[in-house]
Amino acid sequence: MSGQPSISVVLADDAVLLREALAGALSAAGFTVVGQAANVDGLLELVDHLAPTVAIVDVRMPPTHTTEGLEAAQRIRRAHPAVAILVLSQYVETRYAVDLVRDNPAGIGYLLKDRISRIDQLSDAVRRVAAGETVIDPEIVGLLLGRPRRGGGLAELTPREHEILRLMAEGRSNHGIADRLVVEPKTIEGHITRIFSKLQLEPAADDQRRVLAVLSYLKDR
Amino acid sequence: MTPGHWRLLGLGLLGALLAAWHSYGPFLFPTCCHELVTPFNQAWILLPALSWVALMLVVYARDPSGWMWKLVLLYLATRGAWVLGYIPADIGLTLNRLLQNVHQIVLGHMALAFPTGRLAGRFDRTFVAFAYAWVIGLTSVWLLFWQPPDWWNRHNVIGLWPNSDVAGVINSIALLGAPILAAIALWRLWRRWSIATPAHRRVLAPVVVAMPAALVIIGIWHVAEAINRDEIRVALQTPVLRLTELVLPAGFLIGAGRALLARGSIADLATTLGRGVPLGDLQSLLARFLRDPTLKLAFPAPGGDGFIYPDGRPFRTDERSDARATTPLRQGDEVLALLVHDPALEVEDPGLVRAVGSVAQLALTNERLSAQVRAQLSEVRASRARIVEAADTERRRIERDLHDGAQQRLLALAVRLQTAKATVQGADGLIDEATAELHAALTDVRELSRGLHPPILSDMGLGPAIEALAERAPIPVEVQVPDHRYTEAIESAAYFLVSEALTNVARYAGAKTATVRIRAKTQRLLVEVSDDGHGGADVSGGSGRRGLMDRVEALGGRVTLDSPLGEGTTIRATLPL
Repeated sequence: MSGQPSISVVLADDAVLLREALAGALSAAGFTVVGQAANVDGLLELVDHLAPTVAIVDVRMPPTHTTEGLEAAQRIRRAHPAVAILVLSQYVETRYAVDLVRDNPAGIGYLLKDRISRIDQLSDAVRRVAAGETVIDPEIVGLLLGRPRRGGGLAELTPREHEILRLMAEGRSNHGIADRLVVEPKTIEGHITRIFSKLQLEPAADDQRRVLAVLSYLKDR
Repeated sequence: MTPGHWRLLGLGLLGALLAAWHSYGPFLFPTCCHELVTPFNQAWILLPALSWVALMLVVYARDPSGWMWKLVLLYLATRGAWVLGYIPADIGLTLNRLLQNVHQIVLGHMALAFPTGRLAGRFDRTFVAFAYAWVIGLTSVWLLFWQPPDWWNRHNVIGLWPNSDVAGVINSIALLGAPILAAIALWRLWRRWSIATPAHRRVLAPVVVAMPAALVIIGIWHVAEAINRDEIRVALQTPVLRLTELVLPAGFLIGAGRALLARGSIADLATTLGRGVPLGDLQSLLARFLRDPTLKLAFPAPGGDGFIYPDGRPFRTDERSDARATTPLRQGDEVLALLVHDPALEVEDPGLVRAVGSVAQLALTNERLSAQVRAQLSEVRASRARIVEAADTERRRIERDLHDGAQQRLLALAVRLQTAKATVQGADGLIDEATAELHAALTDVRELSRGLHPPILSDMGLGPAIEALAERAPIPVEVQVPDHRYTEAIESAAYFLVSEALTNVARYAGAKTATVRIRAKTQRLLVEVSDDGHGGADVSGGSGRRGLMDRVEALGGRVTLDSPLGEGTTIRATLPL
């Protein structure tokens, strides 16, 4: 991403080894790691002072090592709505992902922690949340889409529409989807209209509302 | 005729003789009789006297070693002291004067000692001893100064210093003391009543009613004597008023009879026990029979350490307080059971509790066995619950260790491999292979730790955790779970039950859909997993299912399996909340 100002990032993870490795990988990928924290308080302090573009937060942190990262994300959301957040999680739980983005899907993401060893995927996710997109890990989306259902609109989708629905659920924009599928954005728009009509969803006004509509559909039905 | 019967007969004859002496004794002597002492009038004295004899025999039959019948005998003997006055010898007159009022003290003594014949407490013993001493002592002193008028033609043999003034003063003192003694006796009687337990009151009631009535009659007699109003005394000796003397023996007799009644129904108890008592009912049966609703049974604990209730709970030692009497029921040297009861039961009928114990021995033995099994069962239950809890804690610890240890290290390794890939030339293929292997290992570890204990269960409860299970199931699963948190043990048991059931549905049931339904009912959580498969599942099937049943039963719950061939399978669990 030469030519663009570098994206500033703070990192929060209590596992020092991993945090350092991640910081190294992110720097190598062209991000500016401006701060690192080992717990929620440290993270909130860094965000207060450094106002980074993105906060990358591990889901498990002291004291209980369960879902402190999710709560930290909500607190950053309330205090600094402009700071994008990417939660790195070991939990393949659709409920956590959907709950995280449900209130305000702009610039927030739930990525499985495994992705950090695939630096291209991690960088992509960081850039997307920095750009205000929503990021839902493909494995989470796979679980949402893969859930067996009794009938319903999903069965009526063509394989291509299915693929587009998957990318929408991951939080990608029309442009992103078109890039992935190597087609014109206009074509994508047509597909999306048909998908929404087959699923009997109201057409969404913007990308954020679209991702919410799709996630709610998948989660609740 | 047993020796006991002979003794009873002998006592009856003695009593009859004393009664006859008391009523018709005067006719034996030439000095007879006063115009009021006619054979007809004396019949009204004989009747109460005979009822005293009856009371004596009843009391003796119930408790031959007790004191009560002896007191009644003493009363009968002293009651006849007035007849001594008819003996045509001076000593008769002296004895008559000396003993004529003693029976009234015996009466008070009986009332306070009823029904055992023993006085309860130091005050009562001191008071009764003082009353005897007062009456006999004061009369003796009076006799030293008293001589009858000349026209009696009789002489008081110990009237050494005849002085009518001194005798008059002493007589006044005696008259003054009598109502005080009566009042104290009544107060003590009232006090016994007021602190008596219901069982005790049943026995005391007739006496408590009869005593004041009798005292009123005696009081009027004495007042009449003191103020020389013979017409009142004559009136008291009319047949109808004589009958009021029946009030006292009748009161005592009813009280003693009530105590005896319980003894009589031991045969009923034996019959009831003979028909068999359902386990757990013996305590209430004995409570009903002994008319003590507070009665409790306790048995030796299985380890021999302390006692337990019939339901197996440990016996609280504070039950062995003063307000409760504890009677050990023995079988040989061994304590079979403890009967914790109202102390009045023993007062009312000594030996009754033990008699009941021996009648109920077989039932007690059964009940003891059952109580001991219950106690052991609850101990085993508690230990099973502890084992499950320990296993859960251990699972969570391992889950945490996997997350914080293996997973983090594998991830860090994967990140480093990527860095290596960027710096080392010509090893891309190798590094990509290693990375793929690492990712497979990471997925394995993640699934393993999720299976051990999914964090979403502790974090968000049953609903979201079971939703997550449903998402992973290979067939559509409908989930109806209340949005409510329960204890960790309950949530774990319900979650793993559903997890195991859904795994089995996917593996064996050949089902198209399944439903998980969890409902909270009064104090219970009902968990139900049903499918539309081919049924025929085996209850004992699989160590997984057995382990889950153990887990549910450890919490005091139950698992049932309903799996008719061709009609699907429903597994239900009830967990106590």
